[in-house]
Amino acid sequence: MATSTTIWEKLGFRKASGVTEAGWGQTLLAGLVSLIYFLPVLLIIITSFKVQNEAMSVPPKFFPTSFFGLIPDVYVFSPTLENFTSVFSRAFVTGGAVESTGFDRFFFNSMFIAGSSVLLALVIGTLAAYGFSRYPLKGNDTYLFIILTTRMLPAIVVIIPIILMFRIAGLSGSYPGIILLYTAFNLPFTIWMMKSFFDELSLDVEDAARIDGSSELRVFFKICLPQVVAGLAATFVFGLILTWNEFLFALLLTGIDTRTVPVAMNQAVAGGGIGVLWGLLAAIETLFLIPVFLVTFFLQNHLLRGVTFGTVKR
Amino acid sequence: MTIMTKMKGVATAFSFAALMSVGGASLASAEDVTLTMAVPDWPPTRIMKKMFDEQYKSETGNNVKLEVDFIPWPDFYTRVNASLTSGEQKYNFAVSDSQWLGAFVEGGYFRKVNDLIDADPELKATMDEMHPAPLNAYSTYPNSTPNYYGFPQFPDVLVNFARSDILCHDEEQKNFQAQFSKKLPCTGEEIDAMSWDDFENVGKFFQRKKGEMLAGQPADDDFYGIAYQAGKGYDFSSMQINGFIWQEGGNVWDETKQPTGQAEGVVNSPQAVGALEHYLRLIQYMPPVAKTGTMDIFKSDELFREGKVAMNINWIGLGEASLDPKTSKVSDKLVFGLAPGTPGPDGKLVRWSNIGGQPFVLTTWTTPTQLTEAMGFVKWWLSSDIQHQFAAGGGQSAMKSVYSDPKYVTYRPWNRAWAASLDWQKDVWHVPQFFDLLTQQQDQFDLAITGKQDAKTTLDNIAKYQQNLLTEAGLIQ
Amino acid sequence: MTMTATQQQTPGFLNVAPDNWKLAIAVGLAVSILAASLFPASASFWVVGAMVAMVAASIVVNAFRKRYYGGLLVSPAIAVLFVMNIFPLLWSLGLSFFAYQSSQQSMRFIGLANYSRLLTDDLKAPELWGNLTNTAMFTVLTVSAQMIVGFLLAVMFAKQFPLRRYLLILVLTPMMLSVVAVGVFFSYYYDPTFGLISQSIKAWNGEQFILFSNKTGAVAGIVFADAWMWSPFVMLLVLAGLVSVPKYLYEAASIDRVGSWRRFWTITFPYIRGLLMLALLFRTIEAFKMADLIILLTKGGNDTMTISYHVIRIANEQNKTSEGAALSYLLLFVVIVLTNLYLYIANRRSREN
Repeated sequence: MATSTTIWEKLGFRKASGVTEAGWGQTLLAGLVSLIYFLPVLLIIITSFKVQNEAMSVPPKFFPTSFFGLIPDVYVFSPTLENFTSVFSRAFVTGGAVESTGFDRFFFNSMFIAGSSVLLALVIGTLAAYGFSRYPLKGNDTYLFIILTTRMLPAIVVIIPIILMFRIAGLSGSYPGIILLYTAFNLPFTIWMMKSFFDELSLDVEDAARIDGSSELRVFFKICLPQVVAGLAATFVFGLILTWNEFLFALLLTGIDTRTVPVAMNQAVAGGGIGVLWGLLAAIETLFLIPVFLVTFFLQNHLLRGVTFGTVKR
Repeated sequence: MTIMTKMKGVATAFSFAALMSVGGASLASAEDVTLTMAVPDWPPTRIMKKMFDEQYKSETGNNVKLEVDFIPWPDFYTRVNASLTSGEQKYNFAVSDSQWLGAFVEGGYFRKVNDLIDADPELKATMDEMHPAPLNAYSTYPNSTPNYYGFPQFPDVLVNFARSDILCHDEEQKNFQAQFSKKLPCTGEEIDAMSWDDFENVGKFFQRKKGEMLAGQPADDDFYGIAYQAGKGYDFSSMQINGFIWQEGGNVWDETKQPTGQAEGVVNSPQAVGALEHYLRLIQYMPPVAKTGTMDIFKSDELFREGKVAMNINWIGLGEASLDPKTSKVSDKLVFGLAPGTPGPDGKLVRWSNIGGQPFVLTTWTTPTQLTEAMGFVKWWLSSDIQHQFAAGGGQSAMKSVYSDPKYVTYRPWNRAWAASLDWQKDVWHVPQFFDLLTQQQDQFDLAITGKQDAKTTLDNIAKYQQNLLTEAGLIQ
Repeated sequence: MTMTATQQQTPGFLNVAPDNWKLAIAVGLAVSILAASLFPASASFWVVGAMVAMVAASIVVNAFRKRYYGGLLVSPAIAVLFVMNIFPLLWSLGLSFFAYQSSQQSMRFIGLANYSRLLTDDLKAPELWGNLTNTAMFTVLTVSAQMIVGFLLAVMFAKQFPLRRYLLILVLTPMMLSVVAVGVFFSYYYDPTFGLISQSIKAWNGEQFILFSNKTGAVAGIVFADAWMWSPFVMLLVLAGLVSVPKYLYEAASIDRVGSWRRFWTITFPYIRGLLMLALLFRTIEAFKMADLIILLTKGGNDTMTISYHVIRIANEQNKTSEGAALSYLLLFVVIVLTNLYLYIANRRSREN
């Protein structure tokens, strides 16, 4: 085993000869399928570089350059970064002055709200999952099922009580309110996922530690938690993805200052006295994709490392 | 902290407080007042906010701030409805579609403004000067009674958007004349004179496949003559079909004829059935998306801006995008006229149409101080100068002195159709059951538009449902 | 001896101690009721909140002293869920027994009338039934598509190959998109005039292709978009199971010349069964709530209306709050029965093994 890894090996080629575990056939197939699967997203990204007048062209313009005349002009658009600047500031009225759209704020809000609520849910949920797994209560499964039930109703049904509650508590339009709500929104999945992880751990090590006189806290932090890092990563990513794009609660419970991107995104769907501003919508979505894309990419190894589950119990 | 510094601190605090109270007494009139407003996010409201920030000075001397919550159109109703009905009491002002008045007045959220108008002769004169059609549509509940709730924010009507480069082309003119023995409408005046049959002929005439000749050139894509809304969403077919029904002598359930006005027998009258059949006949000549029930206000507008149709009837509120070369491929080839009508017994065109646009309304929890400032804002907004500025920036005005000013038609090319259209505007269903009526009707119309049900069955179903619902609600006896 | 022990464990009711939770509840209740009747809502909310915190604290202290760790660990989660989810749910359950429209101020108790009307009314019952069958159809189609596609993708990515990390993230991207963008862009892809599908078909036969011209097309369009978006969710869960199968098991199997089908069922499947179940459970719950994509793509046209969309219409657009609540509790009932069935089958299987 070479101690220094080449870039070639980093990309997944085991040896310089390119022998892989899966074989070339499957590698090619995977490449092809992934690209096809990614195509609709790619088209959104391409659209983010088009001006409004080129976005809907017939035939569609796929290429930013003609590759030295290789591709007929009808398929070539002239790429622009205008959409990306328009996300943050543009003229709302034809010929009017350029104004800030507030999107810098909305991006911050999305990151802050989603990030903190998912982390909070992870902390609270992991504790609860550990409790459910190690110290089963009377009717443990019933509690777990009730927790799951809270995810089953359409959100619109609970929204009226929540709005009223928020108003009375002075929480509407504030960060703590929406963060707490999203925490609750994430808890069922977090608890179910993390419980599955804890159930899989071998009890022998823990018992041995207890016999050695370790406190319960020590057992949890030093023995159990390090074994479920993969689970924490997976739960974090799933929670983040779901919270990141949540729409209805954000629409109804955030104020002007705490609005998140999914709500503001509709500016580009029917704003400005025009239907869809294609380039702008694509640019918002592309920018909005980047943070969660990067988080997933960097946690990817954790997601796949030695995750094992038991069965889902009722 | 030593005793001395503590004492100093206390002394400073005391003197500061004393100073404040003196200052407060002398400047008691200059308060900071914030008015919060829920509006849809689009140019007419953005212009209003901009004009306010740049120009507005309250006559009371208070420092008035207008905090505007710009909510994207697709979610506007959801947001406002949830805010009002949950008792959040967040907004002092809300832009409201005219038909929402019934539900929100009955719920006790919108404030009646008769007392405020009566208390202010200037404002009363302004209201009297308003064209009665938009005044009734935007302000009254029950419909067309002198009980006022709102003020026009952006009044809107349907006009005909047309492509002069296609319609005025010699060859097309010649062929159309040969086929229909009539002149293909080309100028604004000719478009004004169009009936729905002429509109249908334009649709029949322009059905070009890609590569066929269009205005002297091979078409680069399939091209169609006409587009008109036929969408399942919100009110994207009801507004259109109502116009047809009124023009051909039928009626919808008319809440001004309560409690004797019936739905059964009126809604599904032979005239109404004929009118719906007429509307449905047009759909076959439109771009194929019309047959799927997704031809909403934005889709027909997009087809027009992308140069796929010769004529499109749409709201003025969506017009700006057609004129802007950045968003429109046809910006330099446009001509505008009145929406088509139906020839009446005297040969003149009957042009009844369902009004668009929105009023803004005051909510009931607005405090007296806010109310004073809010009325100051309303008066400022409805003043002649500001209405002219608004119209010049792309808005519309319902005030006679403003829109009959010769300058008015120069602001935008479609303004020539404005004054003539206003006389023919009606509104429907200022009742709390509005959304029940609308969603059921839209569902039924969608079945007809997508060819799953004929006109008679559709209107029978609608009539039956409305008769039931409105009888239960006590609006029909 | 026993007497003193009991006394130590349960201090006197009036004994002011941090772990006397009974007293805390009594005081909390009294103060809350007093506050609710004396102060305005905004003030009494916080008083009640403080009382709840006090009770919770005393219960926590009590639990800690008695080494009752289960309750201690679970309580923060239960507290958050109770305030933010369960309490509003109970509230709307309560509303479902009233005649109440949020746009009007009046409220009248009518018992089960909302439910019975939904189930027996001439107009409403067929509508409910139609929406329910549509929802069931969408659930079966989208969930099975997601499970199959997700599983196949996972199998494809189970082994190491060049660029795997980079290709995997490409496949995971769809579920990171917001539903609004997916809906709007898919309606563009499906559009007869501008859409890519229609244009490819037109290049071949010269006719514009109208996907949403009938129910089959509309359902296919919706299911495709939804399955595309959420198959990666299933894939990631299944993949996590596949990579955790110890290699030596496969090696042993290949020595024993076990067929690939049998190898899958005896070696691989036990490792992914729990994950498949979890994916199936959560995707089914989400599928039953499906509304966003339908609103964006068809607005329920071509008979694609689902229960969840219907609830949104009733509860939000028409402001029939209590009827919407009743309808969603009917939906909840169906989902609970279904998920219990899943869990029952899963548990029986795991016991058999």
